[in-house]
Amino acid sequence: MTTTTLYLERTSALHRLNPVTKLVALLSIILAVFAVPHWWIPLGIVAVVIVPAAVLGRVGGRLLRLFLILLLPLLVVLFLIQGLFYPDGSTVLWEWGLAQLTTEGLLFALTIGSRLTALVLGSLVFVLTTDPARLMSALTQVGMSPKIAYVISASLQIIPAFQARAQSILLAQQARGLAIVGSPLKRARALLPLLGPLILGMITDVDERSTAMEARAFGATPKPTSLIVVPDPVGERVARWLMFLSAIAVVVLVVVGVIA
Amino acid sequence: MTEHDRETERGGESEGDRESERESVTERESVKEATMANANANAPMIELSGVGFAYEDAERFTLANLDLRIDAGTVTGIVGASGAGKTTLAKTIAGFIPLNEGGTYRGTASVAGRVLAEGTLSEAAAAVGLVTQNPFNQISGARFTVREELAFGLENRSVPRDEMELRVDEVAARLRLEPLLDRSPYALSGGQMQLVAIASMVIMQPPVLVMDEPTSQLDPAGTRLVYDVLSTLSDGGTTVVIIEHKTELLHEHCDSIAVLAGGLIVQHGTPGAVLADDRLTSWGVGETRVTTAARLARERGLLPVERALPIGVDDAVDAFSAAKGAAS
Amino acid sequence: MSETAISVRGLVHTYPSGVTALHGVDLDVGPGERLAIVGQNGAGKTTLVRHLNGMVRPTEGEVRIGDWSTTEKSIAELAHRVGYVFQNPDEQIFARTVATDVGFGPKNLGFDEERARRAVSDALEAVGLAHEADVHPHHLSLSERKRIAIAAVLAMQTPIVVLDEPTTGQDDAGVQLIAGIVDSLIAQGRTVVAITHDMDFCIENFDRVVVMAQGEVRADGPAEEVFADVAALEAAAVEPPQLLRVARALGWSGTPRDARAFVDQLTQQRGSGSSA
Repeated sequence: MTTTTLYLERTSALHRLNPVTKLVALLSIILAVFAVPHWWIPLGIVAVVIVPAAVLGRVGGRLLRLFLILLLPLLVVLFLIQGLFYPDGSTVLWEWGLAQLTTEGLLFALTIGSRLTALVLGSLVFVLTTDPARLMSALTQVGMSPKIAYVISASLQIIPAFQARAQSILLAQQARGLAIVGSPLKRARALLPLLGPLILGMITDVDERSTAMEARAFGATPKPTSLIVVPDPVGERVARWLMFLSAIAVVVLVVVGVIA
Repeated sequence: MTEHDRETERGGESEGDRESERESVTERESVKEATMANANANAPMIELSGVGFAYEDAERFTLANLDLRIDAGTVTGIVGASGAGKTTLAKTIAGFIPLNEGGTYRGTASVAGRVLAEGTLSEAAAAVGLVTQNPFNQISGARFTVREELAFGLENRSVPRDEMELRVDEVAARLRLEPLLDRSPYALSGGQMQLVAIASMVIMQPPVLVMDEPTSQLDPAGTRLVYDVLSTLSDGGTTVVIIEHKTELLHEHCDSIAVLAGGLIVQHGTPGAVLADDRLTSWGVGETRVTTAARLARERGLLPVERALPIGVDDAVDAFSAAKGAAS
Repeated sequence: MSETAISVRGLVHTYPSGVTALHGVDLDVGPGERLAIVGQNGAGKTTLVRHLNGMVRPTEGEVRIGDWSTTEKSIAELAHRVGYVFQNPDEQIFARTVATDVGFGPKNLGFDEERARRAVSDALEAVGLAHEADVHPHHLSLSERKRIAIAAVLAMQTPIVVLDEPTTGQDDAGVQLIAGIVDSLIAQGRTVVAITHDMDFCIENFDRVVVMAQGEVRADGPAEEVFADVAALEAAAVEPPQLLRVARALGWSGTPRDARAFVDQLTQQRGSGSSA
């Protein structure tokens, strides 16, 4: 894998959607979820929107695995800390020394936790079903600056390139007798001198690369053409506006006090 | 001056910027047109006069007082010892020196009659495509597949999509990159990356193409491919300048060879003349093996002194057959 | 078995990506031999030689360096017996001065100070960079950095030295320097294995040539024989050295390996007045 994304290549309805539509959907969900104070709303959205989307996008299995590895431990810690040590807790259910299990704490944890779950799972579904190349093309099609797209794309690719280079350098030094054994501290100390030239190398490369980019007319026009055209049906464009407006409406309703 | 031009080209979203964007695109097209038009006249395509350059903080001048004239549509090889300044010369022909690099610069370098230093880097890049030694640094990093990477430069020049697809397919076919089109540019071997870097510049169809040791990581088959492409390009009117160490490759494909030594062009002529020059080794350039053998044969009286020394396999066969037949 | 001998048996290597780079290679290299490996990019040459110091492990088969099986030793341990010069010097060089970088290998291998110092100065002398010992490597050109990489391995004084495309980017003087280094390594009794695309350099400096194509060895033997094996050369997309091509075209039966040998043969041909 030469990019740092979790993208899984599949054929699905979700994969076919214009990436900007998916992005707007995600942002709308996040906006709504963080605006509304009830803890069961985000969980409802996860159950009714996000999980079905994952299934539709044929990434349900990976999503579950990522949830168990990334999110579940976090949620457990959250519940333990907020449940047991919540400062404004008054209704105590159980005590043990300094720890007090309070309903307020649990409620707080539930609110934060459900929002976090919606945010993380929603973002994961987005990333799992969206090809970064198509995302960049779609964004520039709707008006994002190609320079910003460049920065994002190059950042995604630079990490694996950096890793590959670090790996080569490590291999080369082992071939000169550098032994990578012993305690982690020893290993770190052995690798430290390699860090300088690795970073220095990347920096000098930047200079050469920017020259090469000039040679290929990068930045010559703010509106370059694109080899990849991402289809953007009218229906999706309408849907984007609807989602965005709905999210704004929800926020307004909360602020005004209709939803409390 | 360069800074200022760079500022005006970083367009925003306003009317004025769109106007200047249109101007820049037309400007670049006109540079290209003027360059090609000049190619049809009888003036040299590339002309360096009294060019001198010293890098910042350098003790001496890399290029001393250099004169070089290159005609349009020709393939010129540039040879010289390591450290002689070939890369510096390549950057000067492309305008990157002095427009992109600090240091002390003297003389003029012009392409198609326009002095590069008087224009912007962008204009220079439109006239001269430069392929540098390290392919890794020529990959944009902003594209996820080789296909898109090849199209990158064309996108920046606002080439319409249909035309881009055609040109990508054409260049990929010429450089045998078809099996790599859907791969990430970073998942390539050194040689493959070098071919992609070359293709990315060739696809832009610059009037002048300067290549700095483009075959260093290629095997003989890849090298032949690149030289074939260069021949085709020059047939089509492109002026090609190639820096190369492997002198045996140059005699077949170059119209002329220039030798860089001591910061000057000390010799510039046909491959037959330059590669058989007695002073070649004193300039730090290696003769081809057949030339060395012929020189030795001449010393031993096996080849007539008047006969020009062969520089390649074919004329060597002719020369030595004649030697065999001659009466002792 | 001498510690400078190499033995490869039934070597198969498949990369994690699924590509099989080697389809069963057998190779024996005796101590003090000079061997060149030629073939197209992708033929498996680099994959093969990277097994020699353990950077790549066999998927099937075995690689032995002397009495060591490479799977039983770490790369750092194998570095005591096999020195590997990388094609790209910038992957290898990291120190702030040339001398420090060249001294890295000897230091890791446990040379005492005196021995290390001498190894470094001898190595720098051999590559013609003794006067740049205290310079920062980035101030030198790519071809000079390539020579630093070679010096760094020379200083390790390993019985076996592997050179991955040592002459690319080198000018005439540089190529001759490297040829001289190969000579002196052999004179010291070391084994030299080199990958090269330069057939002239190959025939002038290596007695034995291995031709590889598509993960297999297509020819293995004395340079004269191998460069006469038209089928193998074609499979590997390799052309014979210049002088050999001329000799063949002239109908000669011998194999002149350099200009002098060529002219000697020419003298003979003229003397005898025949074309045999």
